[in-house]
Amino acid sequence: MDSMNERELNFVKNVISRRFLLRGAGAATGLALVSGQRRFGLAQDTPTASFEGRQMTFASWGGAYQDAQKKAYCDPFAAATGVTILQDGPVDDAKTRAMGESGASTWDVVDVTDSFLYNASQDGIFEPIDYSVVDRAALIPEYTHDFGVGTIVWSNNIGYNTETYDAENHPMNWADVFDLEKFPGRRTFPGNTPDVNLEVALMADGVPMDELYPLDIDRAFAKFDTIKDEVIWWETNSQSQQLFIDGEVNLGLILNGRAYDAAKQGAPIAVEWNGNIQSVDYFVVPKGAANVDVAMAFIQFASQPEQQAIMANEIAYAPTNPEAIPLIDPEIVPWLSTAPENREKGILINVDYWQENLQTVGQRWTQGLMS
Amino acid sequence: MNPLGVAVVPPEERASPFARFDLPRLLLVVVCVAIGIFLILPIFIVIPISFSSAKFLQFPPPGWSLQWYQAFFSSPAWMNALKTSATIAVPTTILATLLGTAAALAMIRSKFPGATLINAVIMAPLIVPLIIAACGIFAVFRIWGLIGTIGGLILAHTALAIPFVVVTVSASVRTVDQRLEQAARGLGASPLVAFRRITLPLILPGVLSGALFAFVTSLDEVIVSLFISTAQVRPLAVQMWSDVRGAIDPTIAAVSTLLFGFSLGVLLLVSLMRRPSR
Amino acid sequence: MATTRQLADQPEVGALAPTSLGRMRLGTTALVLPASLFLLITFVYPVGLLLLRSVSFPTWGIENYATIFQETIYLRVLANTVVISGAVTLITLLLGYPYAYLMATGSPLTQRAMAFVVLVPFWTSILVRTYAWLVLLQRRGLVNRTLEWSGLITEPLDLVHNRIGVYIGMTQVLLPFMVFPLFAVMSRIDRSHLQAASNLGAPPTQVFIRVFLPLSLPGVIAGVLLVFILSLGYYITPALLGGPRDIMIAQLIQEQIGEFGEWGIGAALATVLLIGTVLLAALLNRFIKLDRIWGGQT
Repeated sequence: MDSMNERELNFVKNVISRRFLLRGAGAATGLALVSGQRRFGLAQDTPTASFEGRQMTFASWGGAYQDAQKKAYCDPFAAATGVTILQDGPVDDAKTRAMGESGASTWDVVDVTDSFLYNASQDGIFEPIDYSVVDRAALIPEYTHDFGVGTIVWSNNIGYNTETYDAENHPMNWADVFDLEKFPGRRTFPGNTPDVNLEVALMADGVPMDELYPLDIDRAFAKFDTIKDEVIWWETNSQSQQLFIDGEVNLGLILNGRAYDAAKQGAPIAVEWNGNIQSVDYFVVPKGAANVDVAMAFIQFASQPEQQAIMANEIAYAPTNPEAIPLIDPEIVPWLSTAPENREKGILINVDYWQENLQTVGQRWTQGLMS
Repeated sequence: MNPLGVAVVPPEERASPFARFDLPRLLLVVVCVAIGIFLILPIFIVIPISFSSAKFLQFPPPGWSLQWYQAFFSSPAWMNALKTSATIAVPTTILATLLGTAAALAMIRSKFPGATLINAVIMAPLIVPLIIAACGIFAVFRIWGLIGTIGGLILAHTALAIPFVVVTVSASVRTVDQRLEQAARGLGASPLVAFRRITLPLILPGVLSGALFAFVTSLDEVIVSLFISTAQVRPLAVQMWSDVRGAIDPTIAAVSTLLFGFSLGVLLLVSLMRRPSR
Repeated sequence: MATTRQLADQPEVGALAPTSLGRMRLGTTALVLPASLFLLITFVYPVGLLLLRSVSFPTWGIENYATIFQETIYLRVLANTVVISGAVTLITLLLGYPYAYLMATGSPLTQRAMAFVVLVPFWTSILVRTYAWLVLLQRRGLVNRTLEWSGLITEPLDLVHNRIGVYIGMTQVLLPFMVFPLFAVMSRIDRSHLQAASNLGAPPTQVFIRVFLPLSLPGVIAGVLLVFILSLGYYITPALLGGPRDIMIAQLIQEQIGEFGEWGIGAALATVLLIGTVLLAALLNRFIKLDRIWGGQT
């Protein structure tokens, strides 16, 4: 009984501190204040005690990222509500789609990329987000969606081994990464999906960053054909880290947070921000999930500044709640893809393009890999 | 047991045509030692890595520590997987051993119509590629609501383990003189008593190694489990599968070392059990 | 062993009344039912249902078969599967033959030790073995380090995430299945034939080529068929040690059904795989009794 009271107390404290922070945000944006007020009542109504003894399955991309999420969102949420959270992963788009299509998902909250969310959101495989529980106005508007709530902003970067290359002599742009003469040896790219891969191939082939879309698919595939023999494809993000750490590759495409995590642990890896492609990860609830109510409360909880700041401090992924930024360790800020100088050197992925084309291009991509 | 030392034992001095192949035979021994190294040595590599003090996979390890064992035993995910595997493997072993031993007795001891067909049914899990079994079981278990249940995993593992028990037990039933049991019956023992007192003790080594076979089958099974398990109910092999595919720390090496030690123990046990039946 | 079998084969002594014997026989026969029923429900029915879906999903017809035999992506995977299985079979034969030969002609102690060496990987979790290879075969792995240190190579070799990795990993896993049937046949070869040839003045190599090799052929055929059959359905090793160009049919089935929910295509691929497997297994069964192999010690 005592522990429950303590949990409730913590939760109340959390709500109060959120409320305090939100006022600041409201003063800044105006809009947030209105819906922020709307949320106050709801937050108090949230039947936290009724979640006691409930279970929820959280599925994400595994490894360092999911460890950070566990620390930033899952463990504090479990402590505050008494919900038992089970971890599953690493996920991939096909599995998430299968979960939603089954109509009886064993996953309650899933972390998906923006291209997949936009592509799959028309297919009725996600539960609509309950914005009476989730405070939409607290988040940057572009990062919210009817079927998903943005949780982090990340970027796809050029990664390189600092033992092989140094600050002066390293792959400076995607053309370098695709140049087998200048930078010989194996390199790595994500094998699962065509998005991002095709963009960087076009940049390597000389297409300016702001003229990428609509993508010249044939040209991008042709560019990849020139290096395919030297590519080790990674399937999970942890694998991309492992390939760098083990020295299997010296350069390639890696997510900024994964590079940060590996570097933090002492691996000789650095990233180049030139030509970075930014993406947003969203939390979605697959259709027919057993614990939709808990899932929505979880998503709201994970959208709070404190939680997002813990996340950024752990793995250097940028928050979608602007209020989190002042809470982030200043040393981490240069690693965030939303830091102004990093943002300038890159672009945001075009989700509308991928909404139309992910499926057809995806098939061609898979076939291309096998040949 | 030094597996490398023994292969170098010189051929026995005997009046055999083989004894004349001296130089070729020496070459042969060298080749076989190399093959033996290829078979065994790679597995031993996991042992030093599991005691590494490095944060990542690194060879040779820069220093020694027990951190990955600590990580294993303090991880709720790994401990849950271990518990789940034990919860599945024990009932699987019992069920498969009972069903398999009974079937083996029937198949060896009597001729009956349709024996070929029944033999085919019982041996099917050995022939049918596991991926096909996995997809079929996945399809049916979805209809029956057995996905992600301990019961479902026990049923599937038992199906895969039965033929191994049948094969192992059959081998020892064949060696038992049926007339002993008949003699006991002739002296007035009931069939059950005659079986328990005479046949069972004789085939016991076979039954026990069949049971071990079933246990290991359940413990190591990956493919079917991948299809029918969920985050809630996830056996050790499935947890290992996802770690081999992407974990950057050597916890998996610690798990592998523990499992390898276990396998070696089982193998020695089986070898010992076989000796009396010879 | 020989004596017990002879005893068992002799007609029963008339200690028991025929009726009682018949009843016991019937009782014994019934013992096969629980296992058969269990496997019918949990194994045969599921596999049957899966195969049915190849012609019933998403609609009735042979569409799925048309797809897998027309689209290059599926044909390529089928070809991969046959090529990889064939290569692995050949490698295991080249390694397994001399191994089984020494085992069959060595002292009992050698035999026991060599059997133990083969059985260690056989009993070790396939994930442990595959992980070990991943560690060994990397660019900075033990194999490359040793080769570099010995001066044989200057640049690390690419031994994993490609076909080479698949061959190495699968060979280790499947070598026992080549050695067992080879050993079984070789150890039964009558030494007097060899002695006779030798006494007639044939040099040792001739004795081997003219007499031993032909006599061991049934074992070769059995081993080749067995390893080939097992390779066809392999999943874990190619999935972890290979690259996207080394995808085999089992991975494709997993992907189609487990990830895309394409039951029809997956089931059609499964049917093709199963037909190939069963035909080869029937052939194999003519050379060696299947249950003998899985019994471990022949």
